[in-house]
Amino acid sequence: MSASITRGQLFSRGAKGGTVLLVAGSALGRFVDEAAAAPLPLSDLAYARLLVGAELLASDFYSQAVAASNSGPVIGGYLHRALANEQEHYQSVSGILTGAGLTPAAAGDIDFSYPAGTFASQGSTVKFARQLEELMLGAYLGAIAGIQTDSLKAGLAQIAASEAQHASYFNATGGTKAFKNAFPSPLTIDQASNALDAFTA
Amino acid sequence: MRFSRITSLLAGVALCAALTVGGAQANSNKATAGLTIFAGSSMTTVLPEIDSGNTYSFGSSTALGTQIKNGAPADVLMSANTTVPASLYAAGVVEKPVNFIRNTLAIVVPKSNPAGIKSIYDLTKPGIKIDEAAASVPVGSYTLQVLNQMGINDAIQANVVSKETSDANVVAKVALGQVDAGFVYLSDYVIDPTHLTLIKVPAWAQPKITYAMAIVTKSPNQAAAEAWMKKVLSPAGQAIFVKDGFLPIAAPVPTITKIAPARATVGGTVTLTGTNFTGTTSVTIQGVPAKFKVVSAAKLTLTVPPKAKSGPITVTNPSGTATSKPLTID
Repeated sequence: MSASITRGQLFSRGAKGGTVLLVAGSALGRFVDEAAAAPLPLSDLAYARLLVGAELLASDFYSQAVAASNSGPVIGGYLHRALANEQEHYQSVSGILTGAGLTPAAAGDIDFSYPAGTFASQGSTVKFARQLEELMLGAYLGAIAGIQTDSLKAGLAQIAASEAQHASYFNATGGTKAFKNAFPSPLTIDQASNALDAFTA
Repeated sequence: MRFSRITSLLAGVALCAALTVGGAQANSNKATAGLTIFAGSSMTTVLPEIDSGNTYSFGSSTALGTQIKNGAPADVLMSANTTVPASLYAAGVVEKPVNFIRNTLAIVVPKSNPAGIKSIYDLTKPGIKIDEAAASVPVGSYTLQVLNQMGINDAIQANVVSKETSDANVVAKVALGQVDAGFVYLSDYVIDPTHLTLIKVPAWAQPKITYAMAIVTKSPNQAAAEAWMKKVLSPAGQAIFVKDGFLPIAAPVPTITKIAPARATVGGTVTLTGTNFTGTTSVTIQGVPAKFKVVSAAKLTLTVPPKAKSGPITVTNPSGTATSKPLTID
């Protein structure tokens, strides 16, 4: 499949997959179709599981951050937006597994834990968001580098771009440079796994 | 109890007397009368803590299931998976199985960790000596599942030097320093961490490890067996399991049968009626998280959050999510 697939093509493919229109414009249809088209290597499915776990962490964090209601209206709005983005990412990367006939982890399957005081204030929330988004960006960049199925890479790159936007915003909000490196570093799967596992109970 | 367990395990391995399928009864506690319970070896410590008046035979759940099928005089089977009791139920050998506890897969290394293992990925390095249970027993099956899910099974298998018939044997070999690492249940470590160091298996790759129990159809002690199962499922019984590193059985998936009122404003309170609200982890309205309070298993109240839009309410607990009809926000 071409990486320059149009939205119309995406909708068309997505309609074959059933629930794709729920997240119109996302990479979900592509992932479901690609995973269903041919058996994916075990290593690609491992990446998908890792990314599902990472998205569950991100969704859980932003859910708790929003529920804590201790951020101002502007940052609070971005927390809402980030939550919505991460939920759409989850739907997309889950599609790799469901397309392969597997059951992805869902909310409640993994118990997450956060440093004490993470949700105590706007500052502490933003501080963790910066750490989280660097992890998310590194994990997606690592997946793009490591995954063997080329047709999945464009969708993953879209999500990586979204995570980079999150990282940039929360870095700037947290008082550091919005962006630094021309080439942000990818995380290997074991680095990403270990970083993710630091926030599981 | 804890001292005697590890001492027994170490002695057993030192004498090259590792348990075999046929040797499951060798680990029995026949000092007491009462029910005869066949149970997976990961429950060797915890079950006598719940009731020391039964006779326990510990071993591979698969092997114990086969023995019961062949007529062994057990009253209850307590398996480290759901598949063995399910297959016996299908064959009419046991009554309908009941899930009673969960567990987590873990890696243990010798206390001093001579190989310097910090994560599961370190086990793929050449020269690491790994012990695991055979795929025919539950803990071995779960191990295989995790390694395949992580895409590292081939690399790990190249380092496996021994396959055991139970998690207890893996624990013993690791504790003696005969191998660099082994795959066991988290409860194996929690029960006796004296000779072991724990390495987590990533949560994103964890299998769903659920234990199930069932009364043997031909048991002459049906009433006592039912009482035992109630005891295991009671808060006190579950607490003993949790103390020993197990996870409580997940609550059933919630359901929502009624929303009152059907229209609300931001900051207003909405009451949900349904089932299984105890243990709720999150509530959302059209995807926006809401503060909530569990009043009872059948009643939950929530506060309509700022920026909430009209849409369905979801209630999530560790077992799943219930979705309501749309709430209208004015």
